[in-house]
Amino acid sequence: MGTFVQLVVDGLSTGSVYAAIALAIVLVNQATGLINFAQGGMAVLAAYVAWALTNRGVPLVLAILLSIVFSFVLGAVVERYLMRRFERGDPDTAVVVTIGLLTLITGVAGWLWTYNNQSFPSLFPLDTVSFLGVSVSIRSIGTTLVIVVVMALLQALFVGTKLGLALRAVAINPQSASYSGLPVGRLLMVGWGLAAALGAVAGALVAPQLTLTPGMLDNALVYALAAVILGGLTSPVGVVVAAWIIGVLENLAAVYVPFIGYDLKVAVPFILIFVVLIVRPQGLFGRKTVVRV
Amino acid sequence: MTLLELEGVTASYGPVQVLDGVSLSVPENGAFGILGANGAGKTTTLRAISGAVRTGGRIVFDGKDISGLRPDQVAALGIAHVPEGRGSFGDLTVRENLRVGAYLRKDRKGIDQDIDYCLDLFPNLQDRIRSNASALSGGEQQMLAVARAIMSKPRMLLLDEASLGLAPSTAKNVYEAIRRLRLESGIAMVVVEQNANLAFTLVDSATVLETGRNVLTGTSAELRGMDEIRRAYLGG
Amino acid sequence: MASASAVQATPSPSAASPAPSFTERPWVRRAGALLLLVVLVVAPLVLPQFANETLARVGVFAVAVLGLNVVMGYTGQVSLGQIFFLGLGAYVTAYGVQHDWNVVVVFLLACVVPAVAGLVVALAAARLGGLAIAMVTIALPIVGVPLAKRLGDVTGGSQGISARMGGAPEGSGLYNDQWTLYVVLVIGGIVFLLTRSLVRGKFGRAFAIVKGNEHVASSMGISPYRYKVLAFTIASLIGGVSGFLYMYVIQYTSPETMSFGHSIQLLAAMVIGGAGSIVGSILGGAYYVLVPQLTNEIDASLTALLQGAILLAVLFVLPGGLASLLRAVTRGRRRSGAGNGAAAPSTTPPSTAGSAPAAGEPETERHGHA
Repeated sequence: MGTFVQLVVDGLSTGSVYAAIALAIVLVNQATGLINFAQGGMAVLAAYVAWALTNRGVPLVLAILLSIVFSFVLGAVVERYLMRRFERGDPDTAVVVTIGLLTLITGVAGWLWTYNNQSFPSLFPLDTVSFLGVSVSIRSIGTTLVIVVVMALLQALFVGTKLGLALRAVAINPQSASYSGLPVGRLLMVGWGLAAALGAVAGALVAPQLTLTPGMLDNALVYALAAVILGGLTSPVGVVVAAWIIGVLENLAAVYVPFIGYDLKVAVPFILIFVVLIVRPQGLFGRKTVVRV
Repeated sequence: MTLLELEGVTASYGPVQVLDGVSLSVPENGAFGILGANGAGKTTTLRAISGAVRTGGRIVFDGKDISGLRPDQVAALGIAHVPEGRGSFGDLTVRENLRVGAYLRKDRKGIDQDIDYCLDLFPNLQDRIRSNASALSGGEQQMLAVARAIMSKPRMLLLDEASLGLAPSTAKNVYEAIRRLRLESGIAMVVVEQNANLAFTLVDSATVLETGRNVLTGTSAELRGMDEIRRAYLGG
Repeated sequence: MASASAVQATPSPSAASPAPSFTERPWVRRAGALLLLVVLVVAPLVLPQFANETLARVGVFAVAVLGLNVVMGYTGQVSLGQIFFLGLGAYVTAYGVQHDWNVVVVFLLACVVPAVAGLVVALAAARLGGLAIAMVTIALPIVGVPLAKRLGDVTGGSQGISARMGGAPEGSGLYNDQWTLYVVLVIGGIVFLLTRSLVRGKFGRAFAIVKGNEHVASSMGISPYRYKVLAFTIASLIGGVSGFLYMYVIQYTSPETMSFGHSIQLLAAMVIGGAGSIVGSILGGAYYVLVPQLTNEIDASLTALLQGAILLAVLFVLPGGLASLLRAVTRGRRRSGAGNGAAAPSTTPPSTAGSAPAAGEPETERHGHA
């Protein structure tokens, strides 16, 4: 029983990391209709920035905050100078562009900081707390809480502020938005920036566990994409729930299904996708097909 | 005094020349109609004014050459474009749509007053204020589109085919509201309309476009009296 | 470029102006094809061992890129999993060879097993439409690597597995590297010819319509779903062939062969060579093999960075890839009226490696029956 609860809590924690990256992907997709395969790579770069800052004596929390700001700027720059000319064109080409960006970012990180694993300091103590007779790791609880809070803030931004309203309007109908005086280009940059910042939070939270390498989030990207498929591109809530389900299920499968084990648990979301595709092609929560044709 | 002046405006989509020297002039508080068949370049003329297409020639608004500006910059000068197909933000509520229209304004109180004014002008929207725009009927969406334009407190309204796809009685209601808006606010207007009869209830003067060129320009009274106009656009 | 200079040497009838252009004349085309054949037959005999081995590897990956082109270049479905089918084909081949199965049976299995795997994946992934195929196929290398490690009894785990198929047959008078290159040229050549007629025929037109607009395809009675599945399955089959050739040439494979990084590199090679182009596939294969070698020479830690930068640069300035550059060159010459068969080199395998002398390479012993 104790193991089971610990596994579930750990699963929610990794699921939250997938959820953050998946939400970033949804955010970009809503704004520009693209799938950014470099979303995880950009988060890794942010984690490296935070790590490099801590090495220079910057306190961890400040370093992470600075890396989030860095990511915001990076996302905005990438939108403006790389993606913009591909946004209205063939989405397949745009996907290849993001893959090129992923390669480039991985290359930059590997060149600057080598491909060796670097240990990243944890925001949370590595202890466990006892809760109803079950011990649960503080790091898992903390990771989940931070990401839930960040998501709540994002939700508040989108629903409760003028900027959020403008971002949603641009995502729905950029032409009409520009007729109302919305600076569409700048808002798209902000959207990409927010997505990258969200990814940076996820990167900083998961780096202590995975240890920092340029390919650290390749697997997480795959999980996030699976969550996006399962949750449906149109449903942020669905995506988060799907990410949690994936996180918990893969953790349980790793321990309780001998063939899967820790090394093959990455297959779990895709087994799930196959099952769901046969039952509900529109995704768990989505309204229509995952991607417009 | 002239508020908007187009002089020999040209525009093309790729290799296709859509505007081939369009000229027109709208006085302050005036309402000007653009008539013509499908593909004559009416919508493109509005898009040219808004900066949504690249143009040649001169477009002067309030003494300032605005050709080459982006749509949001044109909007900031006080030109509100009600696009063909209404351009609603489907996943936003009616109130949110109106707030998007007021994006450039900072006066909270004024915005609230103008929302009330819009709801008075289009009472149908009153009951739907919390609905998503995508749930509205065609007529309601058209009203919302005009209301959204009003929310930016424009000096000039560009109205594109406001009657398109609406039942005749609904179209008449929409035009009546716009006429009232004109009387009460004095906003200048450029009106593109297939239904010339409807257009003449609103505009003082108009031009007829054919393949991207002016072929006739005159006051409503003059144009209404012309046989060829009547045959071509007034169904009789 | 032996072929180019040879064609240029023939008297060019530039006086007999525009129609039909020199390179389009049937006899020129036939002569060009014949010349190409001669070059392909002679080249392995005269090239040094190092060049033959490099060309063989180029051939392997040209076939892999060709498969990716069927699903992505011609049908417009982004696949990030093509390398998985190469790996699968290689493992099937290795397993068969280790168990002394007949080489023809091994080859057929190396085609069929990946094709069936591809069919199963496509049946599910193509239901989603749009970019979802990319989002699902990205899982293939990510799941494939740990799966291969797990199935250690069959795959040799992380250590990998090696298998030697016979070298040059006795009495052939060939070195092993020459024989291997011939095998690659024959099998690869057949795959290229078959694929060429596929994409130029009825199926190719259907693929192109699905790529252009799925609604239009549906309205014409062409099921986008069915053709996407078909294209993906064919791509997987061709991937399996490339896996067989991989094993034949390199004689060793490990989970690393189908890593995520390699999968992305293969996609980059296809885009850089030229999407939707037969010639582009060959250029892509050459890119895949030669450029990492080149960048490793410069600075190994810069490889990924340079590859990303090259891919982005090509997407910005040359969206049609290197193949479109070749096409532009030939068209430019044609327009200028000079009918000196510049089109000929476009069908020869990239001979950059061929012209590079093996000098400086430590002279390894050349095996075979020469």
